[in-house]
Amino acid sequence: MNGEAILPYLIIIPLFGAFSMPMVNLLGRKSREAWAVIISGATLAVGSAMFYSVWENRGIIVYTLGAKSPLGQANFPIRIVWEVDLFGALMVFMVTLVSFLAVLYSLGYMKHDTGLDKYYTLIIILELGMLGIAITGDLFNFYVFLEIMSIASYALVAFRNDTWEGIEAGIKYMFVGSIASAFILLGIALLYGQYGTLTMSYLALKLAESPSVTAKVALALFIAGLLFKSGASPVHMWLADAHPAAPSSISAMLSGLVIKIGGIYALARILFSIYGASISVKTVGWVIIIFACITLVIGNAMAVIQNDMKRLLAYSSVGQIGYILLGLGIGLAAYGSQTGEIAMAGAIYHTFNHALMKALLFLVAGAVIHQLGTRNLNELSGIAKTMPKTTFAFLIGAAAIIGMPPLNGFASKWLIYESSAIFNPILGAIAIIGTAFCTAAYVRVLYTFFGRPSESVMKAKDPEGTMLWPIILLVVAIIVMGLFPWQISEKIMIPAVKALENQLAYVSTVLGGA
Amino acid sequence: MDIMTGVVYPVAGLVGLYIFVSLASLIWEGIDRKLVARMQRRVGPPLLQPLYDFFKLASKETIIPNTSNFMFRAAPVLSLATAIALLAYTPMGFEPILTSKGDIIVFIYLLALLSLFKILGAISSGNPYAKIGAAREAAIMVSREPAMMLAIFAIMWRLGKLGIEKPFSMSVFYQHNIWEIGTPMSLVGALILLYVFIVWLASEIEVGFFNIPDAEEEIAEGLLVEYSGRYLALFKLTKALKAFISASLIVAIFFPWGISGYLGLTDYAATIADLLFHTLKVFLLLFAVQSIFRATTGRLKITQAVDFLWKNVFLASLLGSLLIAMEVIM
Repeated sequence: MNGEAILPYLIIIPLFGAFSMPMVNLLGRKSREAWAVIISGATLAVGSAMFYSVWENRGIIVYTLGAKSPLGQANFPIRIVWEVDLFGALMVFMVTLVSFLAVLYSLGYMKHDTGLDKYYTLIIILELGMLGIAITGDLFNFYVFLEIMSIASYALVAFRNDTWEGIEAGIKYMFVGSIASAFILLGIALLYGQYGTLTMSYLALKLAESPSVTAKVALALFIAGLLFKSGASPVHMWLADAHPAAPSSISAMLSGLVIKIGGIYALARILFSIYGASISVKTVGWVIIIFACITLVIGNAMAVIQNDMKRLLAYSSVGQIGYILLGLGIGLAAYGSQTGEIAMAGAIYHTFNHALMKALLFLVAGAVIHQLGTRNLNELSGIAKTMPKTTFAFLIGAAAIIGMPPLNGFASKWLIYESSAIFNPILGAIAIIGTAFCTAAYVRVLYTFFGRPSESVMKAKDPEGTMLWPIILLVVAIIVMGLFPWQISEKIMIPAVKALENQLAYVSTVLGGA
Repeated sequence: MDIMTGVVYPVAGLVGLYIFVSLASLIWEGIDRKLVARMQRRVGPPLLQPLYDFFKLASKETIIPNTSNFMFRAAPVLSLATAIALLAYTPMGFEPILTSKGDIIVFIYLLALLSLFKILGAISSGNPYAKIGAAREAAIMVSREPAMMLAIFAIMWRLGKLGIEKPFSMSVFYQHNIWEIGTPMSLVGALILLYVFIVWLASEIEVGFFNIPDAEEEIAEGLLVEYSGRYLALFKLTKALKAFISASLIVAIFFPWGISGYLGLTDYAATIADLLFHTLKVFLLLFAVQSIFRATTGRLKITQAVDFLWKNVFLASLLGSLLIAMEVIM
């Protein structure tokens, strides 16, 4: 299939879906829900077709908005380009998959809420923003999509505006999130002032030709802003409030996707594809590694002491972001070596895996909250008796996130452990400490879930089909991916790393007069 | 690799091994009970008593408490399944059936998973006594495994320096053993690690000092208090298998010598002779660790046991590992 031809539909379909939602809404509740499912399903179809096409051709797709070639009459890019390599395509697939499941889940989960036309519009816009980030090859276009994603997520975090915590978390997230976005915008402005271009690949060329202090300042601003968006310590505090306050389908998208696309993916893209040749990757790698270690330990350790189920999952997300950042940092610091490649493969693999398992865990948490109306772990004792399927899904998700061998989390974490132990044994030890905390946190939850059923739990039952099916699909995905860990790593993750590290190809695909 | 060598032979080997080890480990229990009885001037049950017990339990009515959930019924099956899977990675006088590089981690993981399923099954019963037992089991498990892991990784790493094709695999022990390094430092280190492993074995099979999670007198059978009938039979069988497997690990590390070479046997005969000789060594080791230890000591409190495992055994493991590693490092 021709990836270039279908690439625009990744934006067209959700944009059309979101903008037509207010009108479809006039036809009633059923059609609104059907429309949301159709739109996100169609996006999933396009996303997976594009992923397959990129994976099969091993190439980079370039799409120019408005013309055949990005170059126009000049010999430098004057148009907005979209550029998708295997890493980007993988992210696209991840976003469309989890978004589809979240929309499906929302049908049952959100049915007692009001204002659902806005909800479905926002959720599709959130997906749109994330897809845009994954495919864009233009820095300002990236910023626009980042803001689309961020603003949609501010609104969705505060969606239940009759609860005080929704509003509180929303305001907190919005205030600090806007500052982080402003950092990124400032960085873009500095780069534009210095180099006069916003196309990522051309900018990479210019940067390599004439490095400057401005570029370094801009890089610092990017790293600061994007670490915030990814929820790294010490700027993870918005995450711990935003995830519990949001509706669970949104938490699943926030934790599974937003912090990775808006944080990890963007960071990797900017560092590898724009700055790769012009900075000391070792220094930047160590900066990231330091934040990764702090994030790893703080996130996982804080997860152990939580009594609120969703807050625990939120802190666990912070901890897992620590692993991904560790992989990314080592991938930079050991750039070009086997170790760096393994670390980066581990980071990308863990990004994908964590999207699946954290989405699963948040959807399960949502099902529990939906049934019992409480997030307090102490009141959830013994739900295995009355909600066996949900608990089983949680068991699988928890085992996967700890990294138990027959499940998908094992291979990705193994790659990160292995590379960090080779790179620097102390980092390996820190990673293990993080896992020990993570294990303690989840075992504690399991201990509660399998215990003696409490009074309130006895009335609960497994959720309805629309909420159960996304959960089952994710469980199946986790198990099946767990059965072929090294094949996936070999066939998808390593090529994705190679594509990301090959800055020359990224630059020349656009500039080579496509 | 065709389907015969790839699938059929390993499966057949695993099934055969499972049948043999189930019988051997249950018979060992009978021998153990007889020996302990003799030490206390009693007659003791017949040697096949554990088999009779097993069949009796299997035929009895199984009672499911109404506070239990699905894990209560799944846990005994899962833990037996884990034990059977573990057999494929256990050295039994010959290289394990599914040996590959790095399989030590699978071994440790499956061994820990056994305990985890037991804990999950216990807390799923909804019985507070079982929950206390489970908490104790978890505390002991977390305390005993680091010492063993440190020791075994140190030994495997050291043996890996002698030149082997599959590092960190269970087959290492049949290519080189810890005694053949031969320097005084490594001998002392190996003896210290032998102590570590013996205490680990005692805590793994929960005898003597470490008979804590199931302590009948204190918390009414602890972990297994709600289990009856078939499920209890499965747990008892798993426990016997686990004792055999854990002892096999120590035998493989410290006493890996086979007899087939001396008898001039080859092929299947050699395998069977080695397996029988290995079983004999396992019985001797279990006699020292299980029977004597069980007959001569009482249990510790849980805090004492955790303290002992960290402050004594883990430190010994650290010391032994350092001694073993010292010659390579310096």
